[in-house]
Amino acid sequence: MSLTDALTALQALPLSTAIAESDWIFPTIESLHVIAITLVVGSIIVVDLRLIGVAARTRPLAAFTAQFLPITWCAFALAALTGGLMFLAKPVSYAGNIFFLAKLLLLLAAGLNMAAFHLFVERPAHQGRADGAARLSGLASLTIWIGVVALGRWIGFTI
Amino acid sequence: MLNAFAAWLLHTPVTAFLETAAWAVPTIQTLHILCIAIVFGGAVFINLRVFGLIERDQPVVAVLDRFLPPMAIAIVVLAVTGALLIASEPNRAMFRVVFWIKMGLVLLALAGTWTQRRLILVGAARDEGATTLGVRLFAGVTLLLWVGVIFAGRWIGYATGWPGSPT
Repeated sequence: MSLTDALTALQALPLSTAIAESDWIFPTIESLHVIAITLVVGSIIVVDLRLIGVAARTRPLAAFTAQFLPITWCAFALAALTGGLMFLAKPVSYAGNIFFLAKLLLLLAAGLNMAAFHLFVERPAHQGRADGAARLSGLASLTIWIGVVALGRWIGFTI
Repeated sequence: MLNAFAAWLLHTPVTAFLETAAWAVPTIQTLHILCIAIVFGGAVFINLRVFGLIERDQPVVAVLDRFLPPMAIAIVVLAVTGALLIASEPNRAMFRVVFWIKMGLVLLALAGTWTQRRLILVGAARDEGATTLGVRLFAGVTLLLWVGVIFAGRWIGYATGWPGSPT
């Protein structure tokens, strides 16, 4: 079974046709997707600005990430779920859309950046070392997420 | 009057530019969403603190002071980018009921946020810990209003114009 066959089969699922044919299901999922994305980006910005050192500089980093990253993860789960449902409406078109593929790549980059932060930067940064690395993590994250939002909008105009 | 305004807007250089530059509208929309992230995110964080779910080691007033200034700046950018999006297609948003519902909800949400701030400041001045029932009630209502704003905003793209609207 080729990828195209798999995508076509996905598109024929009852759930997919229900989303594609309904007048209100897609906009509802999309609204929830916007709510989820704004919370992912909103909470990430707070952490990134702390990492870069332009906001909340006096707050301990460990306490700060413990407050806001759980919000990021919950919102990301909702964004992924609603994004997946929107994908089901037109799997063949999305899979062939360059902006959609670029968005997936950027999300992968966001995940790698976060993993690198937790593995190599977080512990030294908590002890007040690795300021430069923390700044780089925050800047990379901020740039990547702005790119994710932009690509999401470009998908809407090209799909 | 609205028709006349839309007809005038249609012939402004702004609309002419937005119609020719294919990258302009998605760029403005990206900025619009990023600013929604700041306003909605800020409202959620303030209210999570009001409910005692995050930042419990910080006074409510401190959380309020941290998020309200960037939210206010983002609101201004939202108004500008929103106006540009209307100008990009003058015959569209303004002739849809859901657009005016969104504007009403924005005003209510802003009024709710402002009232909440007053209640918190008054509570803090009286040293009440600032999470009285009134503050919590406003927290819930304000959040629902912002959620309504986002839903209505998305629906503008799907609604059809009312009878007699220009095409």
